[in-house]
Amino acid sequence: MQLGQNTPGRDLKARYLYLGLSMTAGLLVLAINLYRLQIIHGEELLAKSQDNYIKEVRVRADRGMILDRRGEVLVDGRPSFNVYVTPAFCQRCSAEVLPRLSPTLGWDEGQLSRVEQMLKEKHGTQRFQPWAVKVDVTRDELDVLAAHQTELPGVDVVPVQHRNYRAGPVLAHVLGYMNEVTQDEVAKPSAGPKYALGDYIGRRGLERAFEARSCPSGPCGLRGSDGASRQFVNARGEAQRDKDGRTVTEEEVLPAPGNNLILSIDARLQAEAERAFPGTAGAVLAVDVRTGFVLAMLSRPSFDPNVLTGRINASQMAALARDPLQPMVFRAVAQHYSPGSTFKTFSLLAALRSGVFGPSSTAFCPGGYRLGSRVWRCHKDSGHGTVDTRTSLKVSCDTFYYRVADSLGLDPIARLGKDLGLGAPTGIGVVAEVPGIMPDSAYHDRVTPGGYMKGLALNSAIGQGDVNVTPLQLLMAYAAIGNGGTLYQPQLVRRIESPDGRVLEEFQPKILRRLDLSPEHQKLVVDALVAVVNEPGGTGGRARLKEVVVAGKTGTAQVIRLGEKREKKEEMDYFERDHAWFVAFAPAEDPELAVVVLNEHGGHGGSEAAPTAKAVIAKYFELKKTDALAFGGSSFEREKAPPARQSPPPKGPEQRGPALARSPPPDGGSSQESSLVASPGNSPADEGRRAP
Amino acid sequence: MIGMQLRFERRMLPHIPWGLVAAAVLLGLVGVFNLASATRGLGAPLWKSQALYLAVGVLATATVSLVDYRFLQRMALPIFVANLLALLALKLFGHTAKGAESWFALGPLRVQPAEFMKIGLLLMLAKFFHDEQRSEGAVPGVLRELVLALIIAAPVYLVLKQPDLGTAMMMSLSSVTLVLFARPRLWLIGLLFGGLLLGGLVVWNDWIRDQTEPKVTLVRGYLKKHQEARISGWLDPESDPKGTNYHSLQSKIAVGSGGLTGKGWKKGTQAGNFFLPEQHTDFVFSVWAEEHGFLACLVLLFLYGFVLLSALGVALSARDRFGAFVAVGVAVMIFWQVFQNIGMVTGLMPVTGITLPLMSYGGSSMVSVMIGVGLLVNIGMRRHLFTG
Repeated sequence: MQLGQNTPGRDLKARYLYLGLSMTAGLLVLAINLYRLQIIHGEELLAKSQDNYIKEVRVRADRGMILDRRGEVLVDGRPSFNVYVTPAFCQRCSAEVLPRLSPTLGWDEGQLSRVEQMLKEKHGTQRFQPWAVKVDVTRDELDVLAAHQTELPGVDVVPVQHRNYRAGPVLAHVLGYMNEVTQDEVAKPSAGPKYALGDYIGRRGLERAFEARSCPSGPCGLRGSDGASRQFVNARGEAQRDKDGRTVTEEEVLPAPGNNLILSIDARLQAEAERAFPGTAGAVLAVDVRTGFVLAMLSRPSFDPNVLTGRINASQMAALARDPLQPMVFRAVAQHYSPGSTFKTFSLLAALRSGVFGPSSTAFCPGGYRLGSRVWRCHKDSGHGTVDTRTSLKVSCDTFYYRVADSLGLDPIARLGKDLGLGAPTGIGVVAEVPGIMPDSAYHDRVTPGGYMKGLALNSAIGQGDVNVTPLQLLMAYAAIGNGGTLYQPQLVRRIESPDGRVLEEFQPKILRRLDLSPEHQKLVVDALVAVVNEPGGTGGRARLKEVVVAGKTGTAQVIRLGEKREKKEEMDYFERDHAWFVAFAPAEDPELAVVVLNEHGGHGGSEAAPTAKAVIAKYFELKKTDALAFGGSSFEREKAPPARQSPPPKGPEQRGPALARSPPPDGGSSQESSLVASPGNSPADEGRRAP
Repeated sequence: MIGMQLRFERRMLPHIPWGLVAAAVLLGLVGVFNLASATRGLGAPLWKSQALYLAVGVLATATVSLVDYRFLQRMALPIFVANLLALLALKLFGHTAKGAESWFALGPLRVQPAEFMKIGLLLMLAKFFHDEQRSEGAVPGVLRELVLALIIAAPVYLVLKQPDLGTAMMMSLSSVTLVLFARPRLWLIGLLFGGLLLGGLVVWNDWIRDQTEPKVTLVRGYLKKHQEARISGWLDPESDPKGTNYHSLQSKIAVGSGGLTGKGWKKGTQAGNFFLPEQHTDFVFSVWAEEHGFLACLVLLFLYGFVLLSALGVALSARDRFGAFVAVGVAVMIFWQVFQNIGMVTGLMPVTGITLPLMSYGGSSMVSVMIGVGLLVNIGMRRHLFTG
């Protein structure tokens, strides 16, 4: 072995240098790259690493409650659980997880494939968001899900507040309902609250009207503002837990809960209206005559907002829309009807105001009224004989009002009707209203073939023809007559309170108009309305009460034109039957409460509507008494003296006496009237039929 | 001659490169310490196994250093062939993990023959260059080049077939570097640059150039889908942050977020929350960088640099050409792995499954590197030994 060959030799020496230098250079490159990442981009990458594991989680604010005037909860939130699926973490989603979920949540094939499709369509960052697949699972479903949690990767059951309409369909149209925001609403930039997909938004009634609102002190809607917390998650999206198993979060911004609405509705009075109303369809409304605040508001048939607020499916929705009784229509304001004889009060006032008719004016009723070649029939074929102004209302004599219309024409009646708010929305604001129709000659010239003719006025004067009112319009007009001529804007909300009970906004009575109603005329009309209820022969006898004097008027509005033959209600098709009306206020001498009852296709106002009104009025005064005992003051105490009362019309007690006395002998009435009442065989065929 | 195989003499002692051994063991200990943090989310105390592997590695170093390397020189061919056979056997009895057949299951142990193939290839190449010097002209030039090509190509091909692209790449790079070191010929350098240019052209053609259908690809079509995607991701790191580039991006975030001094041991959020892929093997450096920062990374680089330069020092003072080439080979092998791995976790290189020597979890890798260290000790301490 030669030494020279075994030694590495000089030929390699320089190569070690180069190799060493190359390696050093290589390590230097690494060092420089590390410097670039850690020192130059260090801050930025640190922020990115925090973005990685810190997840901003929205903390939903509780929605405000809706309470009645005494603080009874009508709408609140109840704890519920929603099921979410996060596509990115849902392994073998379509193959295993969803089929496992399906029987638990009671899905059929179609529902399953819809959910599958929905999750499949999520791409990019959407795959890392939870998507609701079922809201408000039942207790049983929850237990099953909890037991199988480990077999359902990517499926989360999250506690969420669910809107709870405590009384179901009661007040549904007023309260409204909620459902999920649409993509457009999320995208739409608005000054109000911000929404994210999956949020619920008020859709009708108070829920919508008070969704967001700004008061002087700041936002005061039902919807609060969401908070945000920071959650620590790992790369699998799992929230980190501390050693006690709680998720580690940092509260960043606390959610501000929504505000509470305190309504003017009295839940007890509402319940009484619900109980007492016999009809299939219709409305019962009660307002405070002195303020215009609504105390009860029933519309039947109704719907259950709990169902609509849940995940109602398309076929259920369609069934609701197809229902011939139209449960979604709010009959109190969104549907108008012929007022029938309840309109005569306005015709009478117009007649008195015109000066053509006085308190002692009379008309002879032979059972009809001839104008030109046509005869307008009175509801009583045999005729009422000679009737004066007061009796005309009491027995609801059509002929008297044909006469009024003949002498006045339509326009003075229409003017008074409009002064009392007919033909225009009441401005209640919370729900969509129809304006109704108060026709005048200009209206007929515009819409009726041949233009305005006297005959049209005759129809309108007895509340038929083109006159159309909503129950609320009629009620507010009667309330105005009751309180001496002040037309209030009806209101549902007394005040808005913050969650800690601070009053954010107090709603004051709003006067729309003050009529130039002469006190004598007002008194005469009220007197006549008292007679309707309290005198023998009056059509509204079924609304008579012992404790208070009720003033009211019945109405039976024809839905179809009367034929030659008068058919019995039972013989007619439901949708062709008459609407039964009764509208009243009490106590007659100083009204507090006004009530209207509309029994759609119910038949006669005196029999099918008046008893309901009686029950509501009786309940009101009973509650007033018990509340006074319980609280040492009435919950119905007048909170604000209505301005109209500041200069009360002079009313001598001796003037009112006879009219207000219960069941007085009809000494004020004409002899004709007494004779009519005295002979039961001649009792009015129509509304007065059941009057004693 | 057989008798001196395990001979140890007192006079060898001062020539043991203690600094190198210390640096290697220190790196191994740092690795165990780092693994304790990197594996905290896995539920298995892998750092204990790693400590065991390190101990086994030190034992391997001692054993290998005792066997006179001239015996290994004689045994180079059998060792090489045995390793090739092991790779072939892997095809038949291999244990599949992550789509690649790279393990032998020996009871509870899982052995990666490819790791040991590196040493076998190294010894074979050193022997080749040693013999070439001794018997110049004995074998015709062309045939010799063919033999050299075969020595490199055979193991690279077998490893590539597993498929283990990373290890194959490492073996090729180390071999080419060694060849270049042995023969710094202009034509070889020219060939290398030509190869680089060709590679660049292939990448340009297959990945960068906008092609209309039908696409003409040279290499891309033969690659596995994930390999192909990694190259795309390396070329365009901003694309597909949740998909192909997720690993690379998360690793860069981890490294960068460490800043100057790091987030603290076991405080790394990237490592602790599973954002780092393979954080106990391929991406172990990211954990270190995130938790200990730039300065600690420099310390690591310094330690690796010290090991590499010490290895070159051993080569420089080696008694013979075989020793010199083995030492250079070990240095080159470690260098390329360190460069590729740290380059990969910092986004400089495409993602390939290359472990960081002495730091990454894995017995085969640890033992093979420590065998390399043992070879260096072996060569270093025998530099003045003259025997017949």
